[in-house]
Amino acid sequence: MGSKDEVKAMDEELFTVIIGGQAGQGVKKAGEAVSKFFLEKGRYVFEMDDYQSLIRGGHNFASVSSSTEEIFSHHMRADVVVNLDKTSYEMHKEHLTPDGLNFYNSDEIENGEGIGLPLTSMSKEFQRPQLIMGVAGVAVLAAVVGEDKDSLISLVNSVYPRGKEDNTAFSKMVYDEVVDKVESTLDLKEGDCRNRMFPGNHVIALGAASAGLDIYFAYPMTPASSILHFYASHGDKLGVTAVHPESEIAVANMAIGATIAGARSMVGTSGGGFALMAEAFSLAGMVESPVLFVLSSRPGPATGVPTYTEQGDLGFALHQGHGDFPRIVASPGDMEEAFYLTADMLSLLWKYQTPGIILTEKHLSESSMCMDVDPSKVRTVEPRMHEEDTGYKRYLSTEDGVSPLKFPPSKEAIKWNGEEHDEYGITTSRSEEVAAMHDKRYMKEKAILEELKDRHTVNVYGSGENVIFTYGSTTLSVREALRCSGIEAKVVQPIYLRPLPTWELKKHVNDRSIVVEQSVAQQFSTLLEDKIGLEPTSVIKRYDGRPFDPMDLAGKIKEAIR
Amino acid sequence: MSGDLDTGAEITWCTGCGNFGILAAVKKAVKKLEENGIPREDIVISTGIGCHGKIFDYLDLSGIYSLHGREVASAEGIKLGNPDLKIIAFGGDGDCYGEGLAHLLFAAKRNIDITVIVHNNGAYALTTGQASPTSPKGFKGPATPAGSVEPPIEPIGLLLSAGASFVARGYAGKVKHLSDLIVQAVEHPGFAHIDVLQPSVVFTDYYEEYNELVDELEDTRSTKFEAMELAKESDRLPIGVFYREERATYEEELLRTRNPVKDRLSDEKRSKEIRDFLDM
Repeated sequence: MGSKDEVKAMDEELFTVIIGGQAGQGVKKAGEAVSKFFLEKGRYVFEMDDYQSLIRGGHNFASVSSSTEEIFSHHMRADVVVNLDKTSYEMHKEHLTPDGLNFYNSDEIENGEGIGLPLTSMSKEFQRPQLIMGVAGVAVLAAVVGEDKDSLISLVNSVYPRGKEDNTAFSKMVYDEVVDKVESTLDLKEGDCRNRMFPGNHVIALGAASAGLDIYFAYPMTPASSILHFYASHGDKLGVTAVHPESEIAVANMAIGATIAGARSMVGTSGGGFALMAEAFSLAGMVESPVLFVLSSRPGPATGVPTYTEQGDLGFALHQGHGDFPRIVASPGDMEEAFYLTADMLSLLWKYQTPGIILTEKHLSESSMCMDVDPSKVRTVEPRMHEEDTGYKRYLSTEDGVSPLKFPPSKEAIKWNGEEHDEYGITTSRSEEVAAMHDKRYMKEKAILEELKDRHTVNVYGSGENVIFTYGSTTLSVREALRCSGIEAKVVQPIYLRPLPTWELKKHVNDRSIVVEQSVAQQFSTLLEDKIGLEPTSVIKRYDGRPFDPMDLAGKIKEAIR
Repeated sequence: MSGDLDTGAEITWCTGCGNFGILAAVKKAVKKLEENGIPREDIVISTGIGCHGKIFDYLDLSGIYSLHGREVASAEGIKLGNPDLKIIAFGGDGDCYGEGLAHLLFAAKRNIDITVIVHNNGAYALTTGQASPTSPKGFKGPATPAGSVEPPIEPIGLLLSAGASFVARGYAGKVKHLSDLIVQAVEHPGFAHIDVLQPSVVFTDYYEEYNELVDELEDTRSTKFEAMELAKESDRLPIGVFYREERATYEEELLRTRNPVKDRLSDEKRSKEIRDFLDM
């Protein structure tokens, strides 16, 4: 699926493995094992899992790319493809590099192209033939690059702690079979990467925890669910409680309730769930509750394509909730940014007492890459508090619109009100009070804007006359496309999307600007046109649920900036 | 907080509205609870939207004037944030038995320690008298000029089925009795529900009927089945605690002894835990 003039990756150390099979054959785990294999060689790794919304059958695959240099995306041209079943074989034939090795299940395909391995019959010798299949992935890789068998076994045992004997025996069988059939081994250089790799959702969860998150509320929805699972498993240690109530409506309203008690609260969902939270989002704006919403996008509209990626929710995030009220919307461009930005957002929201959104996509949420962060670098900002015992007004008018907080138990009533209210929080419809409260909340919008002007709000990578505007996880695809193609261009990625840092973005606008995004309606490009008058010469977009393949994208960029 | 719990806000309920009885009963209950050792600053309220919700403005207690149907979810969030607080959620019949029913049933199911008081007037009064979930079949309102074609739901049986560990019915016309129910509900360790018969003088002026039929229960019923049967009686309207049981609360099960806002990790400890996780 390369573009007309295909761009070849210039990184000679780039090495990609694709493992494909049915759900239930341990494809995701196989991707994890391959990633670990590369990590142990000190290589930088990016893993993308492509799976369908089903429990058994269908087709899943993992693409794991690695290099001795930092890499930002998986690739869809693989040096080694391991197909556990026939569907995988047919689908990934075209995903090989010219010298790539294609391994297929010879029990399902006769005389296929590449190297046949009798995976089904080999696996039948074990207790769980289906589940054990995935172990073949890393065994093939080890054999192909000439890794010794003992190292393979120790790795298999660490990734697959259950059923060690069977896994060890099966991986040996596959290894020997490959050594027999492959004439020479491929060269895999060791690197100096000492980092671990994490999926984006875990990084978001850790970021929020580092900024003092107390409670995470969520209703399961792909691709946000793994944040809930992460806190459910590790929350005890991190001081975060995970709560899974009856609906997204309950989630958002409970989270607001928790802030009233003084608890730092976050929620996470995807588009459909976020739609159900619309009224509560508006309530958070009105009562001035600093709930952090994580919106991890998948293709819409409606249920859309549950397990894939898209950037069709940008406009939705920017305009969530009825009525006028300030909000902050930010979108991380890589894993490290996801950590610090989530932490920062939690503090910012408590500083300004208004809801905000971390907008991300399945591609960042569920892909994994090497990264390193330092939790001690996270600076938590304590909210403005009312320390006296008298004179409390929940909505006290102040210069910047931020009223001091107080939490129960309190001798003085603290009244949070979703109806328009006076400074005490008592309901009002008096014209001057209605206008004054609107003004108060709007003051916060201005204060947020001023604060952002002093912050780092736009990432710029590379240089040159050609400018590529992008955001969110698409930034990863663009950076990898440039890294591997040698195309000279400047990548401009706003971290904040509302308020949009127009003062920074404008500095980069020229008549050789293009936009790369994953929305058919090119929502990001339209936003830039509206806000900074950008007239891109080209908008490169992909909206089939898949993240860009970096080399495919490089071809398109090359065409666009010609 | 003022001694009489007044905020000074102008009360805009209709003269004679059952809501006045509920407001008086709540104030009385808060004072009694203080005598029993629960200070008013520990009590936090939430309300939905409708005539009942105005009670938010009339009670000098901390809390949130939430959305229509969401007062129970708000209340649960406050409780989870700081389980030492005592939460009372006020709802209306349209609000709590209609728009927000799922929250009510799930709060009962999980036995979270909050009290829900539903001002059940059998109509959407604030929006000019449409039929509500508890309006009888044949009820005439602007959206059902020929009479409602739907039978009403019976809240007591519904709550018991959902697993509520304390279910009561009160009457806005019997302030002392209602106030006593509220005290018991707040002191009950678990989810407590009070359905309050509340006449609306404009749309559902059932005072006469209620005064005649209301009958104070002597004892609670020992089984849910008996309590449900009791709730179906129509020749009299039993009021009082229909059923109560004690079982582990949601917050005990979920949080164990941890209080999210009181037992925070220190910055150093949190940082170390995250560092350990990253280095694992």
